Amino acid sequence: MADHNPGGDPTPRTLLRRVLDTADPRTPRRPRSARAGAQRALLETASSRRLSGQTKTIAKGRSRGARSIGRSAHVQARGHLEEQTPRTLLKNILLTAPESSILMPESVVKPVPAPQVVQPSRRESSRGSLELQLPELEPSTTLAPGLLAPGRRKQRLRLSMFQQGVDQGLPLSQEPQGNADASSLTSSLNLTFATPLQPQSVQRPGLARRPPARRAVDVGAFLRDLRDTSLAPPNIVLEDTQPFSQPTVGSPNVYHSLPCTPHTGAEDAEQAAGRRTQSSGPGLQNNSPGKPAQFLAGEAEEVDAFALGFLSTSSGVSGEDEVEPLHNGVEEAEKKMKEGVSVSEMEATGAQGPSRAEEPEGHTQVTEAEGSQGTAEAEGPGASSGDEDASSRAASPELASSTPESHQARRHHQFPEPAPPPGAAVLSSEPAEPLLVRCPPRPRTTGPRPRQDPHKAGLSHYVKLFSFFAKMPMERKALEMVEKCLDKYFQHLCDDLEVFAAHAGRKTVKPEDLELLMRRQGLVTDQVSLHVLVERHLPLEYRQLLIPCAYSGNSVFPAQ
Amino acid sequence: MEEEAETEEQQRFSYQQRLKAAIHYTVGCLCEEVALDKEMQFSKQTIAAISELTFRQCENFAKDLEMFARHAKRTTINTEDVKLLARRSNSLLKYITDKSEEIAQINLERKAQKKKKSEDGGKNSREPAEAGVVESEN
Repeated sequence: MADHNPGGDPTPRTLLRRVLDTADPRTPRRPRSARAGAQRALLETASSRRLSGQTKTIAKGRSRGARSIGRSAHVQARGHLEEQTPRTLLKNILLTAPESSILMPESVVKPVPAPQVVQPSRRESSRGSLELQLPELEPSTTLAPGLLAPGRRKQRLRLSMFQQGVDQGLPLSQEPQGNADASSLTSSLNLTFATPLQPQSVQRPGLARRPPARRAVDVGAFLRDLRDTSLAPPNIVLEDTQPFSQPTVGSPNVYHSLPCTPHTGAEDAEQAAGRRTQSSGPGLQNNSPGKPAQFLAGEAEEVDAFALGFLSTSSGVSGEDEVEPLHNGVEEAEKKMKEGVSVSEMEATGAQGPSRAEEPEGHTQVTEAEGSQGTAEAEGPGASSGDEDASSRAASPELASSTPESHQARRHHQFPEPAPPPGAAVLSSEPAEPLLVRCPPRPRTTGPRPRQDPHKAGLSHYVKLFSFFAKMPMERKALEMVEKCLDKYFQHLCDDLEVFAAHAGRKTVKPEDLELLMRRQGLVTDQVSLHVLVERHLPLEYRQLLIPCAYSGNSVFPAQ
Repeated sequence: MEEEAETEEQQRFSYQQRLKAAIHYTVGCLCEEVALDKEMQFSKQTIAAISELTFRQCENFAKDLEMFARHAKRTTINTEDVKLLARRSNSLLKYITDKSEEIAQINLERKAQKKKKSEDGGKNSREPAEAGVVESEN
């Protein structure tokens, strides 16, 4: 039914016809389509010709081709056109459609009945004259008065526009100049299949879709943002990344992968509370609202805050200090850095746990920090954080001059960055080379680390969790004992598993061995089975790996 | 039915009590020996506590042995199961391992003798002797 010119250009009209044709089968009334189809084609061509003076001949050819196609194509489509169901619907849609709607619609459909009527008469008459079209159009109106009357002009205009577009290779870019009345309507119907870029014709400035205002790209801001986002990965809680990333010379990376969140947390609280009214006050106060500002600036403040936090805890420094570095510059920040470093050294032991716990009182983010620390810090105590503090502080003075906006949330996000393996020894070396710390993560010496570091590396995580859940400050010796106990426990556990597997004549540990172990532990009993425990404690992802479940297609996973 | 169950339970309970009494008596004897050795007296409560502990631990051992045997897909408890059970305590494990080796040797020797004797037809006399030896060793 849609015998369009398959090889020819897919004009909007033909496309629409295709659409209409496909919709045909639904309409019960087909028989009427024949005449209407012819009329439609005539109307279309007539309107197109009338409007385009220059392209008459071209339009003629096209319209003829289209007409023939249209006739055949619309023979059936006309059926529902006369019914007015789809067409009136479409017409209504088009009338109400916004100016910049893309679809090209009915303009093809609607004009169909009108022009088609004209065609036969036109053929008889000379085709080139616009004048002749008028009388020709009249009979068409009589044929489908309801349809044509209101939208005749529109339809014609649309058709002409289409024809023009087709002829000139543009989709509806040109509106009929002559029809001011219709222009408003047609513009609304000026839907094209092509990209919306075209329809901005100079001729209809009011209706043209305005091109998106393009702002010039601010390269500086762009680069800054790049740096910022690369510097501050938002969720580093569980990543074991190095604290210092590479450095671009221009980017003062203050890598802060400080696990000393609690410090900053305390500092934030202090800052918020202890802001003295100073000129810098408002600037600093930007911190609390946490504007998403430059990372660098934020870091500068963080570091300063950190240093201040130490100082305040140790010497009760007021908020003035916070302001100073920002405004007075590098020197004070460095000073504080060094002080902070020394303080951090002191704290770079298990005592950090308690100190951390003490500082952030009332600060909501502290618990997060601790938790994240517990998870993030893979190795040892906060000595590493001390290192990072120092190094970050080293870079911070450079940032001191930048705008004092900081993103509080960002700050805390950075903290959970896992501490690199540092040693207290590194801390002492830090102050000596503050500004050189910007270099990429240098291999940290382990220093005074226990020898079984690689083995106990994982245990420190559990020890941190233990200290977190204890909710009380813990002595370092207690933590060490906990670590030893955990070590023995896990070793024993693995030995048992190995023995159980060997007992069953296997070399691989299987879930049955685990179940036997849990039974011996008393977790699995005759009343409580392993599956019950799995359901109770494990998340769904693991549960569906462990407990066989039937899925669609009668497949059971995991296979038993 | 319920009466039977009750009587059964009563029987089991009385059986349990008898076992407990036997254990208590044995523990008492052992404690007296230790007391003589260390010249320190044991109070009755201590002996009672020790005997109760022993009884419960025997229950645990039995369950574990059964679990181990089932884990190895067997229905009879083996010396391997016993060794697995005793692995926690090094000295005990060593002791049991030595004993099990002895038993294994004896069994091998006896089998060799049996084969010889089977020709002679003197098997029956050996079996009760073996059972007695095994029990005493265990």
